[in-house]
Amino acid sequence: MSDGPARRPVALVTGSTSGLGLCLARRLEGRYRLILAGRRDRFPGPLPEGAIYVAADQADPHAASQAIETRLAEAGIDRLNLAFLNAGTGTYGDPFDEDTASVRRTLAVNLEAPLLLSHALFARLQSASGRLVLIGSVARTGSANLAAYAASKGGLDALARALGEEWRGRVAVSMIHPGPIATGMHEKAGFDPKGLRRFFASPERMAAMVERAVEAGRSRAVLGSAATLAHLIGSGMRR
Amino acid sequence: MKRALITGAAAGLGEAMARELVRDGFEIVGLDRSEGPHVTLRADLSVPREVDRALDVALSRGPYDLVVLNAGVSATGRFEQIPVEAHRTVLAVNAQAPIVLAHGLVRAGGLAPRARLVFVSSLSHFVGYPGAASYAASKSALAVYARSIARPMRRRGHSVTLACPGPMKTAQAERHAPPGARDDRRMDAADAARAILKAARAGRALSVPGPANRAGWLFGRLAPALAARTMRRLIYDKLDRDVW
Repeated sequence: MSDGPARRPVALVTGSTSGLGLCLARRLEGRYRLILAGRRDRFPGPLPEGAIYVAADQADPHAASQAIETRLAEAGIDRLNLAFLNAGTGTYGDPFDEDTASVRRTLAVNLEAPLLLSHALFARLQSASGRLVLIGSVARTGSANLAAYAASKGGLDALARALGEEWRGRVAVSMIHPGPIATGMHEKAGFDPKGLRRFFASPERMAAMVERAVEAGRSRAVLGSAATLAHLIGSGMRR
Repeated sequence: MKRALITGAAAGLGEAMARELVRDGFEIVGLDRSEGPHVTLRADLSVPREVDRALDVALSRGPYDLVVLNAGVSATGRFEQIPVEAHRTVLAVNAQAPIVLAHGLVRAGGLAPRARLVFVSSLSHFVGYPGAASYAASKSALAVYARSIARPMRRRGHSVTLACPGPMKTAQAERHAPPGARDDRRMDAADAARAILKAARAGRALSVPGPANRAGWLFGRLAPALAARTMRRLIYDKLDRDVW
């Protein structure tokens, strides 16, 4: 397609500077006008053509959502076709070894921030009959070593369930629960996956799986190890 | 004398549980933002600083044989029309505060040996709640936290009970119910309080008080998407106002 960036549909990706978010941004590049949000001061590497980068730390959900909304308004963007709320954080280990600040940060980044952004972005999503994509986790049902993280993702799941019904016919909602991804997140969270790593999806593969679920219009997808294996075999056969 | 900490002790289910426990000979530390016969610790749990202060005060009056994290607020209506501040308050009071309090009590040794910990979530965790999206999110976060710490708590000799009551005959439920909702179908707070405390004493992992709510729980487990759609018809489609 030769459409200039200004005429493309608009997509927002939070947590866009690494891991799954970065891979999603790379996949959407060229087809969408991208609004990329991240905690870092600037986007790592060259920014995709026509893209806007917003430095917004989701640990302060209110400030982050305001920063993103302000940039959209400044750029004159009043329609949003896709919003990937993907930014996430977590701490691995006994729930009572984690300090209070870390518990609060996990709940803020993974639950409060996407909730406030869903609220802030609604009008723009509705104008484009767009789609809100929430990135959860297979840990959403509970995990002894990821208690605050699991809680935040379980809360996100319930938010998607409610909004999916409330917004039916106005804004589509996709709740995606990826399984383990080979990003730096496990090490950052204090967990060395060792031999388990071979069962982790690469962020590129997970991004492809997420995009496929979204393009299929799925309101809910659990992309755990079985789905990763199926995708691996499927893509091998197509080659 | 056994000692219990109850949040949201001024009214509704919290007050009913406090009354029940006083009858059983418990000494009560009742936390609430409002006054009440069982309230001995005033704090606004929507403010993190207040949560930290309340935790310090509660710790100085412990240790506790029973902790009931019950305080909760709601915001009902169209998600996008409810002010964002109301959604933040719902998350802060219903999810952040109880998680931080439970976490802090355990870390600081605020629990007596073989203590019982009760998290009051909601039936909405199983059936969904269109028309109260932030409430549903907060209560599911709490439910998943309760489930997540059950094993680590057992290793420390304590039990965790997740309570998921349905609609009750309380002032709060009245305020948030859709127009025409029948009060006589809601459960008596005293009955729910007794059922939840019984489950906690037995160390049971889950308490869904009342046969109608247990039917809802089963429905939500077996057909989650259909349950959420049904809840939309029963509640969201009927809401004629936003309340927070």
